[in-house]
Order: sequence, then structure tokens, then C-alpha cells
Amino acid sequence: MAEQMRVVTKDIDVPGIDTLAVYEQHGGYQALRKALGMEPAAVLEEVKASGLRGRGGAGFPTGMKWSLLAKGSPKPTYVVCNSDESEPGTFKDRMLMEKLPHRLVEGVLISAYATGAKQAFIYIRGELALAARQVMRAIDEAYAAGYAGKNIMGSGHDIDVMVHRGAGAYICGEETALLESLEGKRGYPRLKPPFPAVAGLYGGPTVINNCETLSTVPAIIANGAAWYAAIGTEKSKGTRIFCLSGLVNRPGNYELPIGTTFRTLIEEFGGGVIGGKQVKAFIPGGSSTPMLPADKLDISADYESVAAAGSMFGAAGVIVLDEDTCIVGAVLRMTEFYRDESCGKCTPCREGTFWLVQLLERLEAGHGRAEDIDLLNDICDNISGKSFCPLGDAAATPIVSSIKLFRDEYIAHVTQGRCPFRARELATAGNH
Amino acid sequence: MSQESSNVPQVTLTIDGRSVTVPQGTVVWKAAQLAGIEIPIYCYHPKMPPLGACRMCFVEIEPMQPPVAKPPQTACTTEVREGMVVHTDTPLVQKARKGTLEFLLINHPLDCPICDKGGECDLQDFTLRYGPGASRFDLEKRHFQKPISVSENILLDRERCIACQRCVRFTQEIAQDNGLIMLQRGFRTEVGVDPNAPFDSIFSGNVVEMCPVGALTAKSYRFVTRPWELRRTPSVCPGCAVGCNVRVDVRVDRILRLTSRTNDDIDDGWLCDRGRWGYEPVNDPARLRVPLVRRNGELHETTWDAALDLVAEKLKATVVQYGSQAVGGIGSTHTTNEENYLFQKALREGLKTNNIDHYHGRFPAASQGAMPWVFTGTITGIDHAAHIVLLGADPYTRQPVLDLRIKKALRNGAKLTVINPEPARIDRLAARVWRNTPGSEAALARALMHVVLAENLARGDMAAGITPDYRSRFQNDTPERVAATIGATADDIRALAREIAGSDGAVILYDEMTTRQPGNETLAADAFELALLTDHVTRPHAGVGPLWEDANSLGARDMGVLPDVAPGYRPIKSPGMDYDAMLGGGVRALWVMGANPARHVDPALLDKLDFLVVQEMAMTETAKRADVVLPALSYAEKIGTVTNLERCVQPLRRALTPLPGARADWEILRALATRLGLNWAYRSPADVLTEIASAVPLYAGLTRVALGDQGKRWSFAGMPEVVEVR
Repeated sequence: MAEQMRVVTKDIDVPGIDTLAVYEQHGGYQALRKALGMEPAAVLEEVKASGLRGRGGAGFPTGMKWSLLAKGSPKPTYVVCNSDESEPGTFKDRMLMEKLPHRLVEGVLISAYATGAKQAFIYIRGELALAARQVMRAIDEAYAAGYAGKNIMGSGHDIDVMVHRGAGAYICGEETALLESLEGKRGYPRLKPPFPAVAGLYGGPTVINNCETLSTVPAIIANGAAWYAAIGTEKSKGTRIFCLSGLVNRPGNYELPIGTTFRTLIEEFGGGVIGGKQVKAFIPGGSSTPMLPADKLDISADYESVAAAGSMFGAAGVIVLDEDTCIVGAVLRMTEFYRDESCGKCTPCREGTFWLVQLLERLEAGHGRAEDIDLLNDICDNISGKSFCPLGDAAATPIVSSIKLFRDEYIAHVTQGRCPFRARELATAGNH
Repeated sequence: MSQESSNVPQVTLTIDGRSVTVPQGTVVWKAAQLAGIEIPIYCYHPKMPPLGACRMCFVEIEPMQPPVAKPPQTACTTEVREGMVVHTDTPLVQKARKGTLEFLLINHPLDCPICDKGGECDLQDFTLRYGPGASRFDLEKRHFQKPISVSENILLDRERCIACQRCVRFTQEIAQDNGLIMLQRGFRTEVGVDPNAPFDSIFSGNVVEMCPVGALTAKSYRFVTRPWELRRTPSVCPGCAVGCNVRVDVRVDRILRLTSRTNDDIDDGWLCDRGRWGYEPVNDPARLRVPLVRRNGELHETTWDAALDLVAEKLKATVVQYGSQAVGGIGSTHTTNEENYLFQKALREGLKTNNIDHYHGRFPAASQGAMPWVFTGTITGIDHAAHIVLLGADPYTRQPVLDLRIKKALRNGAKLTVINPEPARIDRLAARVWRNTPGSEAALARALMHVVLAENLARGDMAAGITPDYRSRFQNDTPERVAATIGATADDIRALAREIAGSDGAVILYDEMTTRQPGNETLAADAFELALLTDHVTRPHAGVGPLWEDANSLGARDMGVLPDVAPGYRPIKSPGMDYDAMLGGGVRALWVMGANPARHVDPALLDKLDFLVVQEMAMTETAKRADVVLPALSYAEKIGTVTNLERCVQPLRRALTPLPGARADWEILRALATRLGLNWAYRSPADVLTEIASAVPLYAGLTRVALGDQGKRWSFAGMPEVVEVR
């Protein structure tokens, strides 16, 4: 079996790596020590030079994000780690927090040092109870060992780190809703501008980075930007943790250099599709990224190639749909998620997702009409670009991309008056 | 507004081909409004920061670098920039608006025919103007239990709610009081009440008015009319001294509701519930319609002529038998300036007496002060005050809409100090709260002056003229002496004194009735002097003075319904008896117009009078003891002017057909004056106002035309210079 490239997940299988002692034995907090010996600006430059891009989905260059922080604000600067991992098809941050909590804490401390923040928050999805316990324990150990708190490692710098657990809303993964939630308010996305880099948490300049992004920082500081930038493709540097799910034999997290093909990921690491079936389609970056047909399996998994193929690299949550998967049913399931997770602030997302689910239910049940398909598309057009935050666009994506690729399947639901795949399932069941 | 905007750079942009210039920072929606172009909105409210939630106000803005086309933008969240080109009616905009309206309507019940909002509903109107003709939604709507009660006065129909959050944001951001919250999320979103904090705000009614649809309705207005059946008249709320501008909505012979008629200088577009729903006395079927005369101990109906003849005869007879000193009059804090003016004139000229007063706070004799006892600042000035001191005042319950001004100031960074014997709702937002002993407010003011003088903190015109004699006046008023009764330490008091003395603008307010507390005999003068010493009397965003109780409390004073001054505070050589003296057996015949002394003194004192005549709308405790009761009209049935607590003279218009049988007080006064031998030729209150404008320097130039819709504030220009307080 092919080997993963362990940069972020280095030593993940070492027993006890979640404890400070073992983490230290394996080079833990050496990157922090090194960073503290550098000027903050030099740390920032290093991250910038590494080409690291945000792993939360948008892929914004991390070093650039840090350098956009407003200077001279009368309010304190904050670092916030977005560990509200909720996108269907993603489960990498959870693993990192559960198994390598110290690496995240180290990354958070380095970024706080680089950005001049004295307070960092790690916002963890409420459902991830174990992850939160692990990170809190790691923070306690880091405080006890002098890595966090006052005068860290004798450097004269104070950095506090605190965990905040979410209350169970997908929208709080959106960075401004996350800030609202962190401030103790209802998780509604905020109007931008001002952007968080200018006025974020409690009105202070705030940098918000994904958990994997921050967990990557120690490796970059320890090994140097050049070392990291040598991994990956020309424009997409480093490794990514691919969250492989769907109908594959070995679903799970695989850290691979950016530029690996989806076919390699699915066949070599995921062991191929269950039952040796064909891939019908795959979603490359989590459910809010457009699905791609099987003939795109050989593209390189990097930001540019995925975009050229008509989708987004997103959070690298790769979902595999096999030949027997009903596209309408799968899309219905995803749309229900967005309906239930819409915060309700803006009209198109709140009302549109409600309508979309009902239409998809009708189609899936075989009661749909031919014009429903165009109606779905038009509703999506009235949501996309019209809603307050990207959640609305995300909700429209599976529908629009699936109709583009698999309109025939939608039509079959109408003309046959039932779900063709459900019918096949029932027929097979009847033979037993 | 003009003061603030003059320093802000102007930006010129084009909207639908029309050029419009607005201050930088203006949002596109507002700029379009100024250009006379409608952009539909739901969540946006001009009095609140942009939200961007409803997605109704889409416009297309030409890209700075064509041909990169951008999706339509929301006009309420987009700030103007120089050279911006905005289109509000492109196919892209039309589709986006249609889309939003279709979305809003999928879960909105089509119960317009029975909805109170039908006919003045933004969802109806915008659907008609911008919406799709038909919906493509043919599935199951979301259902909720039909109206649920969210407060004592308000119902919520969640099916009709479009989740614009105006109501929630008003209660949270403007009223900053117990209110409505958003519950659930996504399509399950609903407005509701926090189970731990009932929606009992005195400002609750504003959410009904702000609701763009029929989701929030007033219980009092439910199913009583259709909006197109209403006759709408601009007027002024009679509820308190703030003088909020209202629109009186009448159907046939009843007031059905009051709504705000935004006056940014006074009410900022808000009303309190007391004002909004306080119209029932006007509609009350038990109102007096026929003059009553006491015979054999009982009040009997009679004719107007008989009643008026009797009153004139009794008053004249009393004067003849016992002299002018034996008659007196108590005027009203509710009736108009014109009526109060005529009232004192009838007494002074017809009965030759200065026994004239009304129920009010305790102030040094009006004739002694060089300026009237009045708030020297303005309501809008409070917006940007640096410090606010409530010295025995609780606007939330007494002058509610002023409480919203104070909260606005707090949002702008003001620091609030509350000194009040009783807990008040505003306490929560105050930087300091002192629970003092009633009647200690004046002593506190003097202690503050003691600190100002001791620490040489005086400023302004006063500072130069401080003599050792003057200084010694407050020598004994040390903070230590009053600390215990104030509920603060001496150091706290010193800190407050320093704060006021160093403030860019301190507003010091006391309730007029606080001056009646024993111990507060000199409160008005002391508070004024404190402001004078620290230079807050005429400074912008500052001021000192009383918060009056009633809608025309100040008007009654301005019009000379006082024993020692004629209209315009002109001193009188031989002052008459004051309120307490008249009621305490000083007069034999008493003429009461629109007042209820039985509330303030032992009603038995009224029984001792030889003769009592009362002009009144309802059978009050005072009217019950009268010998003649003359049925009067309400504020909604007559014209005239009233003067609010910041000296703004505002016109009342006739909103309601007068109650048959009753007469306006000015008509009653005119009829009585004729019988007292005066030759009055006033055809209407407008003629009286003309006379006031020439007789009262403060009101010079005020005509009904000059007052316009929103009144005019009289200034101190007509007053002598302030030289000395005592």
C-alpha cells in the first residue's frame, strides 16, 4: 500500500503522542522555541514564503492573511482557530485535535506570536467532545510547562489560549458567525466590511485560521519554508489531509502531497469502490463544492486543477458516489442539511432551502414534474450571490452541479414516476 | 443632523440617471430616497444600523473595472462613493427582487383580507410593485399556531413574520430593554420572548409600528378597522412633557390608534406605550356631554346658557361681596397655550385677581429669576452629551421617550449617573447608581458646588466673578455631610463633581416633582447654579433643568398661569395666592380648568368652597365636588398649541369631530368672559395665538403657519441676560 506523506500528521500513530511528554520526545514545541528566537515579522515571512494556503476551504494564503491585520488598533489583536469542522465530508480537524492536540496548540502559539496577539481562542465544534477535552488538556499541559501563559519559555511574551465550544450550528464555521458566537451572541454572520482583520472579535483585529492550517505551522517553522514549499505543485504547496468518504473500501483521513490525483486517493489509499463498482461522481472538497464526474478522477488534486475542472478544492472532503447511488437522493440529503443549518438571517437561504428540499422530496418520491428541474435551477439562481453569506451558495451548489451532470437522472425520476435506484433496490430485495 | 453633516465630505453619485450629492458614509438606499427613488426594504430601518438580511433592496452598481459584472448589491449595506453609478430597475435587479418576494411569500399566509396590516403592508405593496404575479410554490407552507400573545398589548402571528428582525433589533439596540428575540434557526426561525424576561417594555408598541407585515399587531387595534377607513391627522401626544409627534387615526367618532409622526428633534420616530395607547379617555362613553349644576346636593343636567350664567353670576357675586381676593383659578397642564392664556386673562381682567396657579414643582418665584425655570439644552443635544446626571428623575416611567435619547447618548459614549431613591430601569446602563434619601438631591447639588469651588474647577462666565463671600455660601456643604443620605462616599461625590466640571457637555436633569420633596426647596436653583458654575447652561450637548410632568406643563407657566407673573414671565406688582394657599381656604370661589386638585390635596378642602366650577372631560373627583361642571373637549377635538419640555411650541389639529354637547375650553372661557363683561372677539385659537405672539416676547413671531407641522422652539433670545440666580 502506498505511503502517506506525514507533515501535519507526523507521529500521529505514536502511542501517547497526545501527551506533552511524548510530544516533546518527538520534537514537540521545538518549532515554538525556534519561532520565539525569531522576530515575529520573520515568522510571518516564513509562513508567507511557505505558500501555505488556508485549509478551511477558501484557500486564502495564510501569511498574507496575517499581514492584513490592521496595525495600530486601540483594541487587542486576537488569533482565533476555527475548529468548527462541520462541512459534510470533512473530519480531519477532529482527528488532529483528538490525536495531535499539542501540534495545534503549538501552531496557535506560533501564529499568536507572529501576529502579536496576546490572546488566542480555539473554537471547537460542540459535538466534538473528545477533541475539546484533548485540546483543553493539551493547553493545561502547555501552561504547566511554560509554553503558554505569562512569559512563555522565558521569552517575555504572554500568550493565553482558551477553548470555546460551539453550541451546534454549522453556520458558526463561517468566520464572522463564529466571532458572534465566541462573543456569546447568536450565530449570525456579520456584515462585511469591516473584515475581521480590521474589526473582528470584540472589535479588535482578528486573524481566523482553520485547525489544519495552524497545525501545519509548526512543521513549516521547524523545517523551513523552502522545505515545505518543495512539496505539492507549483501553485499549491504542501500536503493536505484528504477526508475520504462515501462508498469506498477504506474511508478515512489521508495526508498526501497536493497534486496527487483523485484516482490515486480513491483506488490506492481508499481501496477502490465497495464491491468493485464504478465511480459515478465525486465531490472533491466537501458537500458545498460542485460534484465532478468520474472522468475527472485523473486530475491533480490542487486548487488550480480542481477549479479548472469546474469545482473547488475546498476542505478536501472527498465524497465518492458509486454507480448505484441515486444523485437526486444524495442531493436531497445534502440539501436537507443546508436547510436545517441555514441560520435564517437572510431570506433566500432561509426560504429557498425550505423550498428546494420539498421539491427534491417530491422528485425523489416520483411525484415530480419535468418543470421542477428548471425550477430547482432558478431557485438556486435566486439564492446564489443573493444570500447574505456563502451558506446559501453552498446549498445551491450540489443541485446546480448535479443537474448539469445528471439531468437524465432527474428526468428519469419524473418519467418513471419513482426513483430508478430505489426501484432496483426493492427489486433486488424481492429476489431474496 | 445639519450640524454633524456640515463637516463630512460630500459624495456625488448617479442613481437611475439622476445625480445626487450626499454626505460620505450614506448608504445607497438613503441616497436614492433623497433623490426620490424608491428602493424596497424590510430589514433596513433608517434609525438602526444596516443588517442586510432581507435581501429586498437589490440594486445594480456599475463595476469600477468593466466588464467584470458583479451580482446585484444590497442598497442598505452599500455606502456611496464618488462617481458611483447605480441602477435600480435593470432586469438583474428585477429578477433578484422578484426572487426575494417569491421566497418571502412561500411561507406567508394569504390572509390579507382579515389581516390588520392589509392596505398598508409593505409585503403587499412591494409585491404589487416589484413582485411576481404568481408564485411557483405549490407545496406545503409552514404553519404555526395563529396569534400568540407576546406581551400584555401585542400579539404575534408567526406565520406572517418575514424575519426581518426590525422588532428584535429595536428592543435590543434602541430600547435596550426587555424585548423580543430570535428563536430557532433556518426555516424554523421565529420571533419570540425570552422566558426569563417578559416583554414588558414601555416602548413595546414601536415594534407593532415597525413591523412591515401583519406579524405584530396591537390587541387594541385587532380587527377594528381597515386602514383606508381611517382619517389621519397630525397631532402631538398628550401623554407627557416630551411632546412626541403623533398621527391620530380616527374612524367615524373614535380614535383607533396613535402612530408616530417622526420628529427627529423630539421623538426620533418613537412613541411610548403610555402615549400610544392612552387615547381611551377620549373615546370613553362616560365622558361629560351636558353641563351639570348642583341642586339640593346633587348634580343635575342643565343648558349651557343656564350653567354659564350661573358661573358668571356666582363669581361676580363673590367679588362684590368679598373682593377679588376671594376668587381664584387653577389652570391646566393639559389644555392648550391659548386656553391657559385666556384663562389667566379672564381671571386677571374679568375678576381682577392674581389668584392663579396650577399644580407644579417647587421653583423660586418666577418673578425673581432672570430666566424661566426650563431645561436649557435641547433634546437632540442629549444625543452627544458626554455626561448625563439624573438627579431624582426617572424618564423611563415619567417622560419615556427621553429615556431613549439617553440610551442613544450612551451608545454614543456618554456616561450616566443616576441618583434616585427608587430603583429604575436605566440603572442597569448607568456608570453610577446612588440610592439617596428622598429630598437630599438639593444638598447633593450644593455639595458638588462645594467641591467645584474648593478645587477651583469653576469655568465659564461665572468663574471670574467668584468672591470670597460667594465661596463661603457652600462652605458647610461638604461631601462628607451629605454622603450618607446620597448613598455614596464623599470621594464618589468629589469624583462626580470633577467629572461634571471637566465635561465637554453635561446634561443635568431633575423631575419637576422631585422639587416638592421636603429638603429640595432649593433644588431647581441649586442644580441651575451647579451648571452655571461648571459652564453647562448653554454649552452644546449640555443643559440643566426640570423634566415637566405633563404635555403643557411649560406652556401653563409661559402663559402666566402663575400667581406672580403675567404671560412671558413679566413680574406682577401684587402677586396672588398660589395653589396651596387657594385650596387651603384662601378663596371662597374657585374656577378650575382641566385640573384635578382632589388628587393632590384633601378633597374635603374642596367641599369648604362656597362655589366651585370645573371645566373637565370626565367626572373626576374634583368635578364630583363642583357646583357647576362644564363638559370640555379633548386635545384631539380642537386646535391650539402646546409647549414641550425643551420649549418647542407645537400645533394640535382637530382629529376628531367634537363630542356633541361638550365645548373646547377656549370656547367656554370666551362665553364666560363675555358674561364677566369682557369684550373678546377671538374667532378661534389662531386669533389667541396672534395675541400671545405679541404679548409674550418668547412667543414672538409664532403663528400657526410659522409652526408648520413640527413646531418651533422658543429661544432665550427674548430673555434678559442671566446675571445672578439668587
